[in-house]
Amino acid sequence: MKDRKRVIKEKNTYRPYHIIIILFLFLSVFSAAMMYPIVWMICTSFKSNAEIHMNKTQFFPTEWTLEGYRTAMEKAPIGNWLFNSIFITVVVTVIVILTSTFIGYVFGKYEFKLKKPLFMLLLATMMVPSQVTMIPRYMMIMKMGLLNKMAALIVPSMVSTFSIYLAKQFIEDIPDSLCEAAKIDGAGPVGIYWHVILPNLKPAIGSIGIFTAMAHWNDYLNPLLMLNDVEKMTLPLGLVYFSSQRSEDLAATMAVATMIMVPMIIIFLLFQRQFIKGLALSGMK
Amino acid sequence: MKNNKFVAMVLIPSFLFLFIFSIFPLFYGLGISLFDYNPSNSVQPFLGLANYKKMFQDEIFYKSVKNTLIFCIVAVTGNIVITLFLAEIISVLPSKGMKTFFRMILFIPCIAPMVGTALIWKYGIIGTRGGLLNEILKALGKAPKNWGLTTWQMMLIIIIFTLWADIGYNVVLFTAGIEGVPGEFDEAAKIDGAGPVRRFLSIRLPLMGRTFAFVAIMTMANYFQMFAQFRVFVPGGGQNDSAMVLTNYIYRTSFTQFNMGYASCIATALFLIVFAVAMVQNRMMRADWSYE
Repeated sequence: MKDRKRVIKEKNTYRPYHIIIILFLFLSVFSAAMMYPIVWMICTSFKSNAEIHMNKTQFFPTEWTLEGYRTAMEKAPIGNWLFNSIFITVVVTVIVILTSTFIGYVFGKYEFKLKKPLFMLLLATMMVPSQVTMIPRYMMIMKMGLLNKMAALIVPSMVSTFSIYLAKQFIEDIPDSLCEAAKIDGAGPVGIYWHVILPNLKPAIGSIGIFTAMAHWNDYLNPLLMLNDVEKMTLPLGLVYFSSQRSEDLAATMAVATMIMVPMIIIFLLFQRQFIKGLALSGMK
Repeated sequence: MKNNKFVAMVLIPSFLFLFIFSIFPLFYGLGISLFDYNPSNSVQPFLGLANYKKMFQDEIFYKSVKNTLIFCIVAVTGNIVITLFLAEIISVLPSKGMKTFFRMILFIPCIAPMVGTALIWKYGIIGTRGGLLNEILKALGKAPKNWGLTTWQMMLIIIIFTLWADIGYNVVLFTAGIEGVPGEFDEAAKIDGAGPVRRFLSIRLPLMGRTFAFVAIMTMANYFQMFAQFRVFVPGGGQNDSAMVLTNYIYRTSFTQFNMGYASCIATALFLIVFAVAMVQNRMMRADWSYE
């Protein structure tokens, strides 16, 4: 493995410098363009609506004001939305990590009849778009009396087929001899899971955790279907609701958007190494 | 290992759960599609196949199928070409810090919820007042446009937005894939006189088979479900339904017009289309691309 890395490095140094500089400049311009909408959002959130409604528009605010943020804090229950989003994301992510590693362990380490067809069935459910099943799911949640409750978003998400698939791929790489050794030492199936599988699964858990947390933190469709009351909304749904209520108040809308997105971006920048590693691992499996 | 009792104890509840929330809804939906189903009515008259008959005469349905397919084909192809290209460039950069930096920047839009970033684009890029596109038109001396009233341009904007919001993932996956390809093969091809493009197409791309298949399948599955940006940009389907896709049409029919029977019928059609595409993709991806 070390040799391999060295070869790649050497290969890179052969490239002429002017090509690398051109590529670097291209990437810089491209990245700057990618950031334009985010910077626009932040700038607009600090403008006054009077300035936004003037015909002559400038990118940066002529006068920086917190007017938008004041309206946002007064008119939008951001605290509630934030709490709901955090609660749902954390609960679902913890449950999914447990269920997917456990089911993945059974598929990765045990031999049984119908293993292949059952796993194929699992993968097949992954391909079904959520819009196909959303009407029946809505009816079922209504009949269970969970509409407008956080449980409506948590209960159906407790088992994730994609995460089971990822977990299984990682668990297959754990040597069987470790499991056998634990078995000889008298560990039962759950003991093997707890003492052998889980401790060796840290990268996979990171990967599954990031995927699950991001999917639920950013989800719009399910909250849109299941939640009605303004205080019960999650952040993405709340943002859309707020912008539709105050379509003329662009500064406040962008203030809400900034408050929702910028903290997440900062968290990402702080932990980007773990983030990117976790995501990259999923594609290698 | 073998332990049938334990396997059964884990899998029976798991598959029961999966059955309730993933498989049963498919049949439930199929059932609903045979009724004139409106949850606020007390009677739900049985229609038989009338909903399906109606669907095959529904012009908006055909438009949504066409738009969904166009969106998926153009956006998935665009995504894979652009992300492979960017990943290639990034992997050439000489320092690790630079690689990390660009990967990080390209990933930032993925962190934010798509409804949020779509809202930014709705005002900041295609907005009539101060939107970037109209500012550019103004600078070129042309009349500003109301982009919400355009047809194919709106679809193109939604595709470009989706690429902007989503390329970060695949850039990360592809750079990891490229770094995982052993350098010896590339080196050997170079000695044999293969140019950089040739080496990419014949050596590195086939050797990334697993990553490539994963990305292609996941991106396709994801893009069929895209909904948030259509809801923000064109909630009613856009001018002449030119940007109506199946997901949005199902939502509009079921949750704003409360015609759940007919919506379930369209949902069944979406399921069949996705199923067919998955089968084709499965065939194509079966090629053996492993280098081990």
